Amino acid sequence: MEATREIYWNIGHGVVIPMYILAFAAFGVMVWGFRQRLPIWRQGKALDRFDRYDERVKRMLAEVFSQAKIYRVTDGGVFHSIFFWSFLVLFAGTMLVMFQADFFTPLLQINLLSGEFYKAFSLTLDLAGILALVMLAGFFIRRFVIQPKGLEIVKDDYIILQLLFAILITGFLIEGARMAATELQQNPGLARFSPGGLLAGQLFTTLTPGTLLVTHKILWWFHLALVLGFFCAIPYTKLRHIFTTSANAFLAPLEPKGTIATINLEDESVEQFGAATISDLTWKDIFDADACTSCKRCQDRCPASTTDKPLSPMKIIKQIGELAEGDPTGSLIETISQDALWSCTTCRACQDVCPANIEHVNKIIEMRRNLTLMEGAFPGDEVRTAVSNIEVNGNPFGLAYAARGDWADGLQISVMEQDSDVDILYFVGCYASFDKRNQAIARNFIKICNAAGVKVGILGKEEKCCGEPVRKLGNEYLYQMTATENIELIKAYNVKQIVTTCPHCFNTLSRDYKDLGMDIPVEHYSTYINTLLNSDRLKLTSEPFSYTYHDSCYLGRYMDIIEQPRSILTQAGGSITEMEKNGYDSFCCSAGGGRIIAEEKLGSKISEVRIKMAVETGAPLLVSNCPFCLTMFEDGIKTGGAEGQLQVRDLAEIVAERIAV
Amino acid sequence: MKLLVCIKQVPDLESRFKPDAAGVWYNETDLAFRMNEYDEYAVEQAVQLREKLGEGTELTVLSIGPDRVVEALKKALAMGCDNAAHIQDPAASGKDPWQIASIIAAYAKDKGFDVIFTGMQSQDRGSAQVGVTIAEQLGLACTTTIVSFDYDNGTITAKRELEGGIKGVVKLKTPALVTCQLGLNVPRYPTLPNIMKAKKKEITAIPVVELLREEALATTASFHPPAKKGGGIVLEGDVSDLVDKVIAILKDKTAVLR
Amino acid sequence: MKTLLIGEYREGKLLESTCELLGFANQLGAETAMLLVGSENQLPVYSGTLYLADVAACGEYNPGLHKKLILEAVQKESPDYIVFLHSSYGWDLAPRVAASLRIAQVSEIVAIVDGGFEVGCCNGKMRRTVKPATAQAVLTIQAGAFPVLQPGGSPEIRKLSATDGGALEFIGYEAAEKKDVDLAKAEVIVSAGRGVGKKDNIPVIAALAKALGGEMGASRPVVDAEWVSHSHQVGTTGQTVSPKLYVACGISGAIQHLAGMKKSDFIIAINKDKDAPIGEIADVLVVADVMQFVPALTARVAR
Repeated sequence: MEATREIYWNIGHGVVIPMYILAFAAFGVMVWGFRQRLPIWRQGKALDRFDRYDERVKRMLAEVFSQAKIYRVTDGGVFHSIFFWSFLVLFAGTMLVMFQADFFTPLLQINLLSGEFYKAFSLTLDLAGILALVMLAGFFIRRFVIQPKGLEIVKDDYIILQLLFAILITGFLIEGARMAATELQQNPGLARFSPGGLLAGQLFTTLTPGTLLVTHKILWWFHLALVLGFFCAIPYTKLRHIFTTSANAFLAPLEPKGTIATINLEDESVEQFGAATISDLTWKDIFDADACTSCKRCQDRCPASTTDKPLSPMKIIKQIGELAEGDPTGSLIETISQDALWSCTTCRACQDVCPANIEHVNKIIEMRRNLTLMEGAFPGDEVRTAVSNIEVNGNPFGLAYAARGDWADGLQISVMEQDSDVDILYFVGCYASFDKRNQAIARNFIKICNAAGVKVGILGKEEKCCGEPVRKLGNEYLYQMTATENIELIKAYNVKQIVTTCPHCFNTLSRDYKDLGMDIPVEHYSTYINTLLNSDRLKLTSEPFSYTYHDSCYLGRYMDIIEQPRSILTQAGGSITEMEKNGYDSFCCSAGGGRIIAEEKLGSKISEVRIKMAVETGAPLLVSNCPFCLTMFEDGIKTGGAEGQLQVRDLAEIVAERIAV
Repeated sequence: MKLLVCIKQVPDLESRFKPDAAGVWYNETDLAFRMNEYDEYAVEQAVQLREKLGEGTELTVLSIGPDRVVEALKKALAMGCDNAAHIQDPAASGKDPWQIASIIAAYAKDKGFDVIFTGMQSQDRGSAQVGVTIAEQLGLACTTTIVSFDYDNGTITAKRELEGGIKGVVKLKTPALVTCQLGLNVPRYPTLPNIMKAKKKEITAIPVVELLREEALATTASFHPPAKKGGGIVLEGDVSDLVDKVIAILKDKTAVLR
Repeated sequence: MKTLLIGEYREGKLLESTCELLGFANQLGAETAMLLVGSENQLPVYSGTLYLADVAACGEYNPGLHKKLILEAVQKESPDYIVFLHSSYGWDLAPRVAASLRIAQVSEIVAIVDGGFEVGCCNGKMRRTVKPATAQAVLTIQAGAFPVLQPGGSPEIRKLSATDGGALEFIGYEAAEKKDVDLAKAEVIVSAGRGVGKKDNIPVIAALAKALGGEMGASRPVVDAEWVSHSHQVGTTGQTVSPKLYVACGISGAIQHLAGMKKSDFIIAINKDKDAPIGEIADVLVVADVMQFVPALTARVAR
């Protein structure tokens, strides 16, 4: 007997037309539901996220079908991915059945679903269904029994999980009922290829044939109703993420990470800067709220959230969604609160981990822009002072600008004003220029360059703050003022290559300055030193030491520079014990987003939390690559009681000590 | 109503000061300039009054000096002043407070200002004379070092900061001049739309010769750093010896043990 | 040479600082006359002419009226210098007198030097030597710059009176607000840093501050560790201070801290580390353990 099954068994082909009508009606409801969201999204400003179409489609397909962003976080993620693939198999199987019954059989008179293929098909679908049920059970247990901290339970969760459960169970019951009446009696050998149905079929063996047929019919219609209900529910429940989250994989920015819209300050017609209400955001910012699945991964990784500050990236996205729907003219800043907005370190942990490609950071920056540019607000008086210091002296400390190059006194270095014929321009930054601890980075970097025979120039007193902290605090005006001055200066010296020791300067000069017309190669010293080592221009004497390494946000997450510093340290003789949060999962030092010039008044200290993680590795040495991190960690070691246990040093210090002569 | 606020642009005080060629004032090379801090409070108070009085009130900001002072004027305009007067004088730093006050008085004489605001003093010269002298020359009521200001229907109620944190409460009838102390208010940070608007506001340039009628009454003979305190001593050794040495230094160099 | 010294009287009391005017006149080697709007019940202890106007009639703060009184005394005395303290009373009144007489004013004199008077400028970072170009001049002297002089005797009183219909009305005084600590006004600040070791050692620093008649400050890590309240914090994120004496105990000298206290007149740092950055701006760096040195110093100061 050939292995196959009769489609529409017991239901009859007469069902096809009403079934399709119902299905189209359900799709109609679904489309209607999404259509109703359109005016909500359209409240936002225009933004082109449909360019480079092929690239976007490819990314979307890759992200959706690979589920890589989902299972990156094992907790919940793996269940979701397996469920997704299983459900996808079931969906594809159902589609195949549909094509077979309604197209291949009537139009082509061929039966794909037969023989060995049918066996494999049946087995695959049954296993997928079982797997999906198991994963669904996992979902149940996680959400309702374990209840991870921060995971909300809302009405949608009950509806969706029960609906999915019911669809899968009724699926097996129909199969079981059909098999009880057919295969189990006529072709028991084939039943082995439908293990789910075989099991479910046992329920029906005692029924009379008549009752069995009626039961099967009822189950079939019930299953159909559930499936159609599922489609109808998509736009109105969290199920919408099937489309919105996938769409976000298409809509996500293609620009380099960390790109912030540069405001055109020449445009005198603009009267509103930053985001005060929903209409100041882009449509994508509003759409993001619909793409959010409330998975709270962002919140779990947010250094502000985890140190009891009033910021949750997830909550902000939700609040934007709620305003867009219920109170579009309401104040974003009052709803979200200034404290929440100022607490962000722009570390990008939220955005990096978000499986829905939501852009948290730029929304916060847009709202900060409104606070700063429209209201002249600051997170605190210390920031007001630092900002005015940057205006006057080009550094947040308020130290005399003319003393900026003093750290280089007596070093083999060119000041561009006198001699601009150099191999690289070293953009020193404020901390390495003025702060005694961080001057060690600058001096050691020069030592390294000298050893490699690289002729280094600095701008000296002509250099100004790169503008990063104020830009991240929303002060685009001051950023552009200082940036423009730096750019004009650097261009005038005909610089070929810039190297920075600060990831914040690095990001700003290499990416942000492009928008203002500077297109000169910029490198962070970690990759620069790595190249010097690989090209044998610099040689190190390996001296063993053990350490743990802190990936600064703006080097790791923003610039994907994760391996190079480790490689340098390995060559220097280091053996690493990684912190649990490393690489893309690194935990901020607290100083990003302009927080370096602000006092951390709310919650516990982020730097102490990070220092604790470093201490837990047992390594006596923490190596950092950023003046801001170094400053925060020196502080965190003192206030966190890690003195004597842990020392923090910069990469340049480690390398300079091991230069081979 | 007409309001005037007088501001000065001064070097940032973190700068390193070196005497100029004549040795009577600082050399401007390598100095960063900003609005005199006291004057920021004066501007803020003037703008607050301007906002309170609303339409029909005109607030002028004035500064004397070389072209660089336009930057300070622009900031005041961005904070909310209506227009600016730049009294062009590349040699302003060589003029004594009497001359500076006379120039401002000459400017203000026939303009009918109801309230004039100045800083309590400048951060660089620190004579604390100009404001009061303008009032004297114009015959205005005047009080100094205010830390609180209120205006109602031709009467100013101000609180003066006195030594030891005590305040003196004073009422003045306009026209009047007040000199502003630090902490009088919180000077606003100009918003971007206001910075943009300020670019279009009028800055009237007036050559100083049109207003200067007075000779200097005092001259600066020299500008120099304070006599060295003999600083930078490093003391090491036995604790009781160290204590003796420190006590001796405290008696010699400071007034705290007198 | 002749000086007319303008004494100060506030809240019913003759201010002690008036004696600094006598110290100044003495250094100048000048004859002195004094003017005071005060009361016969509290007279300066000196034996020269005293022009006395009744404070009950003339008020403690009535600059228009006080100016008239001074001008009358100037007419009678023809002094070379009319000398005020550089105080809220002096800097308010002195320019009015100078303007009325069209004579020079030299403000906030810190020393008498060859060729004129030395005054501070650029927030005390620099000095100027200023010379009046007029025969008479108004001077204000910096509080504390000249010694207190109490020559003894009793003044020869000449009464003055005047009336004024001025546009200024003095309403009264308002008491100082009570604050936990006001570092900005403290003349001596003794600050605790991480080198103090632990919270229990904070009273040792407070004791030295008390012995020196000052307030206790702290560096940021000490405040962050909640050893002391935020109102004690010195630095860019706390208060910027410029006392006459700053004692830094166990403070290595982070840039934020230095920016907040480097304008202090005299800085003593106590630190175990000879190379601590605070050494660069300290007038005296005592290389010692804070917990050994500070109690010993406190004991000596208290004696």
